[in-house]
Amino acid sequence: MTFLHPWAIVLGVAAAAVPVLVHWLTSPRPVRMPLSTIRFVREAVHERRSWRRLRDIILLCLRTLAILLIALAVARPQWGQPRQVSDLQQGDAVRVVLLDVSQSMAARAGPVEQIERARTVAAEYLRYRPGLVADLITAAVRPQAVFDVPSTNFDALRDELARARVRPERLEVNRALDQAARLLTPAGPNDHRRRELVLVSDFQRSSWGGANFGPLPADVRIQFESVAPRQPLANLAILRVEGRATDLSGSTQLAVDVGNYSPNDRKVTVELSAGDLRWRLSGTAPAQRVTTLTEEIGSRQIGWQPGEARLSGVDDALPADNVFPFVLHGRPAPKYALLTRQLGGRRPTSSLFLECVLAPTGGKGRSKGAANAEPAVARLDPRALDRAVVSASHLILLDHPGKLSPETIQLLADLLRRGRPIVYVASEPIDATNLKRLCESAGSGLQLPVEFLPPPVGQSRRDLVLASVRRGSAPFKVFGDNLTSLTGRLRFAGGISSRRLDTGLDSDILATYNDGTAALVLASSDAGQLAVLNADLAASDLPKTAAFVPMMSELIGQMLERGHRGGALACGDPLVAQLPVEAGSAAGLHVRGPALNPHERVDGFGQLVDEALGARWRWTSPGPPGVYRVERDGQTVLAAALTIPAEESDPDPLRSKELTDRLAIGRTAAYRGAADEGQSRDDFWKWFAMACVVCVVGEISMLLAFRT
Amino acid sequence: MTSRAISRFLDLLALSALEHMRFTTRRRAEGVFMGYHQSRSLGGAGEFVDFREYTGGEDLRRLDWKVFARTGKAFMRLHEEETNLACTLAIDASGSMRFGAASRRDARGSKLEYVQYLTTAMSQVIARSQDHVGLAVLNGSLGHWLPPGATASHVERLQEIVATLDPQPSLQMAHALRELFERSRRRGVLLLASDFLMDDLDDVFGVLRLFRHRGWDVVVLHIVHPNEERLPEGVAYRFDGLENEGRVNCSPADIRTLYEQRFGAHLAMVRQLALAGGCDYRRVSTSVPYLQTLRGFLVDRAG
Repeated sequence: MTFLHPWAIVLGVAAAAVPVLVHWLTSPRPVRMPLSTIRFVREAVHERRSWRRLRDIILLCLRTLAILLIALAVARPQWGQPRQVSDLQQGDAVRVVLLDVSQSMAARAGPVEQIERARTVAAEYLRYRPGLVADLITAAVRPQAVFDVPSTNFDALRDELARARVRPERLEVNRALDQAARLLTPAGPNDHRRRELVLVSDFQRSSWGGANFGPLPADVRIQFESVAPRQPLANLAILRVEGRATDLSGSTQLAVDVGNYSPNDRKVTVELSAGDLRWRLSGTAPAQRVTTLTEEIGSRQIGWQPGEARLSGVDDALPADNVFPFVLHGRPAPKYALLTRQLGGRRPTSSLFLECVLAPTGGKGRSKGAANAEPAVARLDPRALDRAVVSASHLILLDHPGKLSPETIQLLADLLRRGRPIVYVASEPIDATNLKRLCESAGSGLQLPVEFLPPPVGQSRRDLVLASVRRGSAPFKVFGDNLTSLTGRLRFAGGISSRRLDTGLDSDILATYNDGTAALVLASSDAGQLAVLNADLAASDLPKTAAFVPMMSELIGQMLERGHRGGALACGDPLVAQLPVEAGSAAGLHVRGPALNPHERVDGFGQLVDEALGARWRWTSPGPPGVYRVERDGQTVLAAALTIPAEESDPDPLRSKELTDRLAIGRTAAYRGAADEGQSRDDFWKWFAMACVVCVVGEISMLLAFRT
Repeated sequence: MTSRAISRFLDLLALSALEHMRFTTRRRAEGVFMGYHQSRSLGGAGEFVDFREYTGGEDLRRLDWKVFARTGKAFMRLHEEETNLACTLAIDASGSMRFGAASRRDARGSKLEYVQYLTTAMSQVIARSQDHVGLAVLNGSLGHWLPPGATASHVERLQEIVATLDPQPSLQMAHALRELFERSRRRGVLLLASDFLMDDLDDVFGVLRLFRHRGWDVVVLHIVHPNEERLPEGVAYRFDGLENEGRVNCSPADIRTLYEQRFGAHLAMVRQLALAGGCDYRRVSTSVPYLQTLRGFLVDRAG
């Protein structure tokens, strides 16, 4: 409890002596009289004294209490944590109210959405007071301030506050704090106005956990106004829907991630629909966990197929995330270009091993029943490269390619940047040179985590074993608990040396040999991916083990899927999508939104532009959620599903101590939660004044009842 | 009998109205000289009243020989003697008897002054009847003691002592009464004038019962001031005890009823103790003129 006018307490304590003084001053001067029967007087007084003393004590207490109560009322006590920002504080001030309008603010605690409660709280701070200028920031991915500088136009601020709506976006809290810092920066050295920042939000842990208050001026008073209820909200959400090829033949597994952000396990049922197809996935979602429900759906229909997943029979805090748009992309049977100087045939060479992995049925791909079908694997000699075949293939493999010509390198680099995955099996020293030139041609978009070098002269690369692998990443994830037993027996030979580069990502190194050189690297290059398998397959025992086919299938399948997944993009995050090569130029392309209205304007869904690598779809502020399609003449060339960011589904809020003592450490900050409204009150002075009146009335009643 | 009015409390003119009245006792007196009171002894010198059969050992001089000769039976002749009375006036001279005084040095209006007037007049009445009158001043101890006497000088001395009484704070009277009891050799009348505001009330009446047991006629005059019966009006008073009892601050209105109850209980208790001890009890209010009180007393005693 704090006091607005503490001096009144001191005055009240001093004034508490007044009743005693008054009692002494107003007590009648006794008349002295000798009395023979004083014994009877004394006995009577003793008998009466208890009553008299009780009456006097009560009267004195009531008088003293009345004075103390009136002093307390004047002191204006404030219960709970005092607000750092209040209209009771006088003086000039600059105030910025930051209102969280991210998707989580649509969560309901009872019948009211959190945004409505937040609007009411924010309105308390946007009232006119002399000397106060204010501004309002509605914050999601991109914060938007009503005025460029704080203003006294409170009517406009309140109008904007009334118009504020929840956006299906996540909260970029640091971007919002940066904008608040700009608004609160003093105009000059003589600007000594008080600076106040009011943050009205549900303070989701996922959004506010990384908040940085450093850019704010040091003297800013921060008031955290939480609208999250005391009891955490229970929410179920679909976080991801993905159609994933389980093998190179095109069989697809539908995976749905369901997040259960409630204290109890829940049985969930997800109904999916894509075109005429319907699926129903059921399972149990453990509390505070993300559960993946899967369903084998066979081969996908070729082309882009929009769909929608919906949680059935769920009544939770945030209904918006119970529906999840997704896109399935059915691709034709992949074609591979195998660039090698090794001759074909049945001789066991490394290229043959790769060919067996890519086309286990003898190069006829999936349509083995069609006699005139094109072979799935085109074995090409890099010295006489058919550029058309290479460009038409879905994945390019290089094994013992020898020294590649600059034209070939440039072709590969171009294809890589435009999304064509490349698998390079590095087994000869010349491969180090090829990779180096490929990286140089691909430009800065390709950052390998290691630099491949020819092995030192005299060094024998034999009996290499895998020292470390990324168990949770493809292609090793598929082995699960058997990974150690499988990889422990593998012996590798050949390959080239490597040196770690600071510019690359550690996560791109998927496996490392016991000599420290990289065994498997997977790096992105613009739209494509480059995988380098550093081994001579013919000299290694990997192709002779059962791990070879699934490992290579997983690696190649993942690389193929990356370009055809369609993908789920978060609403609000800037969208830059590279259109497929077959999409052609941007002219004639247009974007259709989820409303399926053929007359939708392209301008409303971003821009389609031609760039060096082909056509691109750019959209600064994408949304609302749904499936958006880029079409040419009614044919979809690309589809993307815009979804609510997954982090918005977790309603777990930060605790007050975490906000004030950890994130805003060193700042003058106060926290007030929605559940604390009853405690943090400053209108108790009325009750004290009323109690004072009661004391006075009680004193008068006592005097009347026990008058002498 | 002639007497010089040397005491300021002796008003002979006023007492002349009581000249025909005499202090009497309801019991037989044990005097030395002839007087107006029936003697306890039935000797042969007085007026014949009756016969009684002779029992062995009796004085043969009082045997009626004529009756014996005529009837052959021995009868004793009974004669009643009259003797004088010895009355001891015991005055409570404790501090509480100063209540009602005009000031600390001026005792006018006090209970003591009233008692001084009353006992002076009483002594005069008793002496006028050829009876002996004595004085005992009780203030913690036996302050003054004059054995009963009837001479003019004795009475003057007694009245002088009464006129010069100086009360002393004391809450004990039994000791003084016991001392008086031990000094008194002849039966008589004990007239005790007191307000009975003391701590040893039971002991006092215990000693009075000793007097009664010895055959004394004990008369208790309970002196009460009207201001004792009712507390004064006013908001606040500081009452000072007259027996060095300290002081009490109070508002009389708060305790008026309770005080009156307790004082009434005190009066009733004194009366009860007196009557239970065989004493003659008489409450005397100082609001009644002492001559009226004396007249009423004498009339009651006369029966």
